[in-house]
Amino acid sequence: MRQIFASLWFALHSAGQNFRRNLGVSLAGVFTMGLIIFLVGGSLLFTHSVDTVLQGQEQNASHLKIYLSDNASLAAITNFESRLQHDPRVISVTFETKDQAKEQASQNPSIESALAVLGSNPLPASLNLDVRKLTYLSQFNAEAKAMPIVDSTTPTDYNSDVISKLNTVITVIEWVGAIIAIILLTISIVIIMNTIRTAVYSRRTEIEIMKLVGATDWFVRWPFILEGMLGGLLAAIFSGAVVFGAYRLFVQAAQGNLLSVPFDARYTITLLIVLLVGGVAVGAFGSFLGVRRFLSA
Amino acid sequence: MSVAVAERSAAPPQHALRPVISFHGVSKVFPNGTEALRDVDLAIHQGDFCFLVGPSGAGKSTLVRLLIRDEAPSTGRIFIDGQEVSRMSHRKLPKLRRKFGIVFQDYKLLQRRTVAQNVAFALQVTRPGQRHMREKVEEVLWIVGLEDKLDKFPDELSGGEQQRVAIARALVHRPRIFLADEPTGNLDPDTSWGIVQLLLQINHRGTTVLMATHNREVVDLVRRRVIAIDNGRVVRDEAEGQYLREGTATL
Ligand SMILES: Nc1ncnc2c1ncn2[C@@H]1O[C@H](COP(=O)(O)OP(=O)(O)O)[C@@H](O)[C@H]1O
Ligand SMILES: [Mg+2]
Repeated sequence: MRQIFASLWFALHSAGQNFRRNLGVSLAGVFTMGLIIFLVGGSLLFTHSVDTVLQGQEQNASHLKIYLSDNASLAAITNFESRLQHDPRVISVTFETKDQAKEQASQNPSIESALAVLGSNPLPASLNLDVRKLTYLSQFNAEAKAMPIVDSTTPTDYNSDVISKLNTVITVIEWVGAIIAIILLTISIVIIMNTIRTAVYSRRTEIEIMKLVGATDWFVRWPFILEGMLGGLLAAIFSGAVVFGAYRLFVQAAQGNLLSVPFDARYTITLLIVLLVGGVAVGAFGSFLGVRRFLSA
Repeated sequence: MSVAVAERSAAPPQHALRPVISFHGVSKVFPNGTEALRDVDLAIHQGDFCFLVGPSGAGKSTLVRLLIRDEAPSTGRIFIDGQEVSRMSHRKLPKLRRKFGIVFQDYKLLQRRTVAQNVAFALQVTRPGQRHMREKVEEVLWIVGLEDKLDKFPDELSGGEQQRVAIARALVHRPRIFLADEPTGNLDPDTSWGIVQLLLQINHRGTTVLMATHNREVVDLVRRRVIAIDNGRVVRDEAEGQYLREGTATL
């Protein structure tokens, strides 16, 4: 126990000393790391905001009209409607009669005159569906086609083009965000590695003596790993604060405009924790790599 | 004093115990092709005091580095205390190195630490949190005659005093074997003599001492075992030798 405390104290003390003695390099490392964490955090928050907005759009796009055949019985329609109502994928279902469809269409004057010429009402009755997810639309489209009460020539107003495009946009944004994050993570590991190399170099006599008198590799390594963790933590605290501030400003600025971005408190807190833990972990890993070459000699 | 004349024939004093250091057909070829040691056989017993002599580049430092497994031999086997170090795993090296105390021509002191802190460092990094550290440090500094310089920094000391601090640091964990690689290389003759006296005193307390040097006066005055190496080969090993072969100008 005494030994553990003494080791820990030694490591902490050396880490702090390293940090102060190479203050310029240490601060440059922290600053660069901070910038990267800011970029990672910022791009994650941005992606999340875009995602939220797009999900809103998705909700708007999640309508499906199922056209009903003229000779479908009312009982069969009611039956189908109640089945849809109990489907967990569905938000709401409304029934639109032929007359309501005609009334709706008649708002367009050219259609109104065409309807007048025809005399009879060619517009079908329909069930108007609101679903929870964009991807459910194609499922309901397929199910509707198989129903005998559904109009066989035009079963639904499903437009696969628009929907798949929207889905592609979301996927691309998510992938780009992930790739950028991985690139930035690699860069910050390299930066920490080089900061630690400088620290190792300025302590080479000390390390040489430690090895000569028989200190273990871990004893030599710990101060540098702690120094890396300290740097990562500082970088994460500062850039986390900046990311948080920038996000609030962004949300405020967006409020008046077309897209209102909601302030997602839970996501933000999770993100800040991830940035802190990530900064510390990247610092530790970079340091580990930084001392490795020297120790294996 | 009588000196055995036949090349490499003067056997070291006979011991019943196995040697504390032994080399069996050891060669060292560096990656760049330099053959620093060639087919070295050697036995050093507990309590011996040996000089390792030879011109610069002969392979003295390489031999010392093989002992503490700073380098591994290319061929041959090395035993310390009956343990083979030539194929020892990396994990066991700290324990091996605690058997040695070692000093060099450059004292390798930490400039920002005081004399006492420099010595304590060796204990802090190997046995953190051990008790009576201060007493142990003061005791070895007394042995090397620096009990009144505890709180001085290295740059406030003479070269000889700095080497004494290095010796104290090497002694503080009570090593079985004391290695000194040209410890007097930077010192004037008087100061050198003082350092050698100190090493003899350490040896007198039972520690095996191996001192690599090309300080002729010292070797000739002390008259202890001399192992001469030239161009990587042991060319002479005498129980009470001189720097050069008796009556010649060669090693
Ligand atoms: N790391 C190394 N790589 C290549 N050659 C080396 C290395 N260390 C020592 N040598 C060579 O090995 C030979 C013996 O060197 P060394 O043991 O330092 O001699 P000494 O200590 O007797 O002066 C020299 O030729 C030296 O140049
Ligand atoms: Mg040498």
